[in-house]
Amino acid sequence: MSVEVEVNESDLAEMVEQVWESYLDPEGISPLIPTYDENQPSEVHSSVSITGSWSGHVVFASSRAAAQRAAAAFLAMELDEVSEEDISDTLGELANIVGGNVKAMLPSGAQLSLPQVVLAPESSARYPNATRISGVYGIWEEEPVSISMWHSSADTKEEGE
Amino acid sequence: MRAMVIDDSRAMRMILKRIVTKLNFEAVEAGDGQEAMDRLAELTEVPELALIDWNMPNMNGLEFVTKVRADPRLREMTLVMVTTESEQSQIVRALAAGAHEYVIKPFTEGAMIEKLALLGLVPTGANS
Repeated sequence: MSVEVEVNESDLAEMVEQVWESYLDPEGISPLIPTYDENQPSEVHSSVSITGSWSGHVVFASSRAAAQRAAAAFLAMELDEVSEEDISDTLGELANIVGGNVKAMLPSGAQLSLPQVVLAPESSARYPNATRISGVYGIWEEEPVSISMWHSSADTKEEGE
Repeated sequence: MRAMVIDDSRAMRMILKRIVTKLNFEAVEAGDGQEAMDRLAELTEVPELALIDWNMPNMNGLEFVTKVRADPRLREMTLVMVTTESEQSQIVRALAAGAHEYVIKPFTEGAMIEKLALLGLVPTGANS
């Protein structure tokens, strides 16, 4: 059975700030500005799954332009040099980093999956029996970016077995 | 000096390669622990430094550290785990297996350089 764990918005925001400071905005000039709008649109997303003592997903979603800018910043490239593979790699690593830090806040016994990247909106993803429990939603250089956390209610399946 | 960057994320390999190259290391890349072992078997000179991710397919970072420590030819290589695995128990496991140091993602370039300076691989103040 999965234990009750709350990783709140402030925990997530702190992790996200570290990611921006380390990779996306080392000069401190383009922070992620909160919008608190969990319905803001996305064009691409990446996710990692956590299983074990807690089950769920961490999802990074953004516009394609924001993903391209993230890849350029991450890989120290010019915007027009960024390839599809660069965007995919960067999105995967961003989900991995946030997911890994979320996992560290959970009781021991949780495992982190390798990242999955889908160059399609977050709204196209389906996480069966999972509910969005927390998220950081913002605008980065005028483009939407979000990092959300989904909790899987694995108990439903156990009860049915 | 030579450094091996071992991470299944090409993006992270590029970041680490950029940092060590700036510090005058010649960088060799591997996408997982098994590929790193294969590259090490081919190399005539063993790298002085390996920067190792934990979560990787085929052979993870902890298994790689264990294998390196069991090979006398690779004994002089300094092993630094660079990973999101920040649980205390995981850090203890990695250090017990033979890793010299630990860097948690996300990390700044300055933090990585400071860690390498602590290990004596780059001069103190290389960050300034």
